[in-house]
Amino acid sequence: MNGPGLFTTHVPGTSWLHRAPLWLKLTGVVLVGTTTFWFTSWWQAALLLVALLAVGLGAGLPTRRVVASLRALGPVLVLLGAFHWWTQGLPEATRIVVGIANAYLAAGLLTATTPVTDMLDGLVRGAKPLRRWLDPEVVALTLGIMLRSVPWVAGAFGQVRVSARARGLERSPRALVLPVVIHTVAYARRTGEALAARGLTDPPTDD
Amino acid sequence: MDRTTLELRDATVTVPTGAAGTRTILGPVSLRASERRITVVGANGSGKSTLLRLLNGLVTPTSGTVTVGGQDTVREGAAVRRVVAFAFTDPLSQLVMPTGREDVELSLRRSHRSRPERAAAAQAVLERFGLAHLADQSVYDLSGGERQLMALAVVLATEPRVLVLDEPSTLLDLRNTTLLRRTLASLEQTVVLATHDLDLARDADRTLVVDAGRIVFDGAPAEAVAHYRALVEHS
Repeated sequence: MNGPGLFTTHVPGTSWLHRAPLWLKLTGVVLVGTTTFWFTSWWQAALLLVALLAVGLGAGLPTRRVVASLRALGPVLVLLGAFHWWTQGLPEATRIVVGIANAYLAAGLLTATTPVTDMLDGLVRGAKPLRRWLDPEVVALTLGIMLRSVPWVAGAFGQVRVSARARGLERSPRALVLPVVIHTVAYARRTGEALAARGLTDPPTDD
Repeated sequence: MDRTTLELRDATVTVPTGAAGTRTILGPVSLRASERRITVVGANGSGKSTLLRLLNGLVTPTSGTVTVGGQDTVREGAAVRRVVAFAFTDPLSQLVMPTGREDVELSLRRSHRSRPERAAAAQAVLERFGLAHLADQSVYDLSGGERQLMALAVVLATEPRVLVLDEPSTLLDLRNTTLLRRTLASLEQTVVLATHDLDLARDADRTLVVDAGRIVFDGAPAEAVAHYRALVEHS
């Protein structure tokens, strides 16, 4: 349950985006994420989407991976868009849906242009002030795996949709949502078990 | 005591069944083993996986004790997991990072704090397993056999003394199973593996037959396999 999107593997490169420090990229992702709250019009979100696409393609990321990422999120956006169109009208639905796509794309640009090991190292450094209460390695690992799981969940949704269609249940929200939740919980359990088996969640030792 | 000696003393595992009821899925089991190659055979649901999971503390005994090299899997679980690596049936459950290289580096994070040292150690591990050319590919793009070998490289990167494998050949074709057998044969580690592949089960110094949560036969592989066949035919 995965695809060639921006979240799957790092795309090697030497562009300014690849060379930008992690803190700058993370700040960018957070800023893009908050625009959903302070952009007032759909065209502002649309302009940002164009800018993000330009940044990604300018950094040498393959077009098919950018498109695959957005396509994976498509079903979720369609459902959310339909709900907001119904409750708040088309311009507001467009603003919200494009805002979510922007946040997703920004996070994708971060993961595609930053090796996971660099990201974990950066997150460990960032989590050091919390080390009295939390192991920075575990915090970094948790965030890393959370990012890694986004395309998996999107892939699971796509696969469940195909299964539901094969059974003639494509219009049943229950047939779509419940299996995704069950698959996701099972995936989380397997991942947790694998991390525990490798001792990655054990407290650090001095030896 | 040998640092890889596995010892179970009256180990029992029970699970809740609702309404305050419990069901025993393993045990009581007692065992002392220091052979380098141990295989475990048994039907689905017989308790093989639970027995294996006891060995690195993934499952803790409800009663009794489990030790590896004298270290208790409950009281010294973290120390046991540094000694006992565990490989799952589905390598995609094992590989949590986008590429094999990143996953091997993840294994090495605690032993190699410096990034360049970690990268060099990861490269050495990948080369040792002949996987360097696949290291930067998405784990989803690898074949079943390549994924299983990558998962082995990931857990062996920390140089454990014992490797436990839960049905490692179940998802593999004949070619990849043969490759896996060769790789396992070349390892210095003590290997404990559960399998439905009776040829793979014979590649051992000692074989356990598990049925209904109990070890019903413990001995030479050929005799154990014959016992298992008889058990299946008469059930």
